[in-house]
Amino acid sequence: MRKVIRCTDVFVHICENLDEKLTSKRCRAIRRHLKDCPNCRAYLASLKTTIRLYKSFTNPAFPEEIRKNLFSNLKPNPKLARIRTQS
Amino acid sequence: MHSHDDRKDLDLIRDARRGNEGAFTQLVRRHESAVYNFAYKVCRDEVKAQEAWQDTFVNVYRKLGQFDGKSKFTTWLYSIVTNNCLMKHRRRKIDAESISFDEPEALAEEPVTDRSGRKIQTLPSWRETPLDTVMKKEFRSHLERAIVKLPLEYRLVFTLRDIEGQGANDTARILKISVPAVKSRLRRARVFLRNQLNEYMTS
Repeated sequence: MRKVIRCTDVFVHICENLDEKLTSKRCRAIRRHLKDCPNCRAYLASLKTTIRLYKSFTNPAFPEEIRKNLFSNLKPNPKLARIRTQS
Repeated sequence: MHSHDDRKDLDLIRDARRGNEGAFTQLVRRHESAVYNFAYKVCRDEVKAQEAWQDTFVNVYRKLGQFDGKSKFTTWLYSIVTNNCLMKHRRRKIDAESISFDEPEALAEEPVTDRSGRKIQTLPSWRETPLDTVMKKEFRSHLERAIVKLPLEYRLVFTLRDIEGQGANDTARILKISVPAVKSRLRRARVFLRNQLNEYMTS
């Protein structure tokens, strides 16, 4: 018997397989529901756009001075030195 | 099974443990941008991101002997930077329990149909966002405000899964939570951010 999916079910479960081509009974039922439901298709599209927008958000450039500060501040690791003398 | 990149990390770790400082330098250079980008995406503050970055590589340097190689180095690294970001985060009065993750009304109600029984769209579609709009300061500010409001436990999952592309199992290991918890938090993060942007994207 075919699983019946309502819009609220799609809301709960759609996120789990946004990008995955899953083949469970529930996923197949969600795909069938989407074919006939313009609201759920619009909702899915808005979720995908949200993710795409945040993925395109660029970060500030890597500040090179923090690497220089790191190496100038790191003291020799005594554990590494012990390993060195033992090897 | 380790990938080529994973094996390279393991080789550098082995050499660094033997006292080869150059190997540690290479390890830092391989991952410095990824760690900074992740710290910034989570902390949303350049100073905190830089501090978390420093703390992370100091931790790695000091604890290199403790890395057992059973997981990927990047999983271990992300765990460390996550902890450092969490330590920089001030608990806000607004916490996860008070944030709304509700479904849109149009999905909660019975669908509206036409005479032939076909469903009619009542949920507004989002307008197209050309790249020049995305780059505009006002729009970026809107995106920024939305993600800053997202509680940190959800922001972490969203960043790891959707931005960084980490799998659910690796995300669970990094955050030391279960896979179902990863899925639940990710769903809530996506819903929250989508709801925050909805008015802007349908006006």
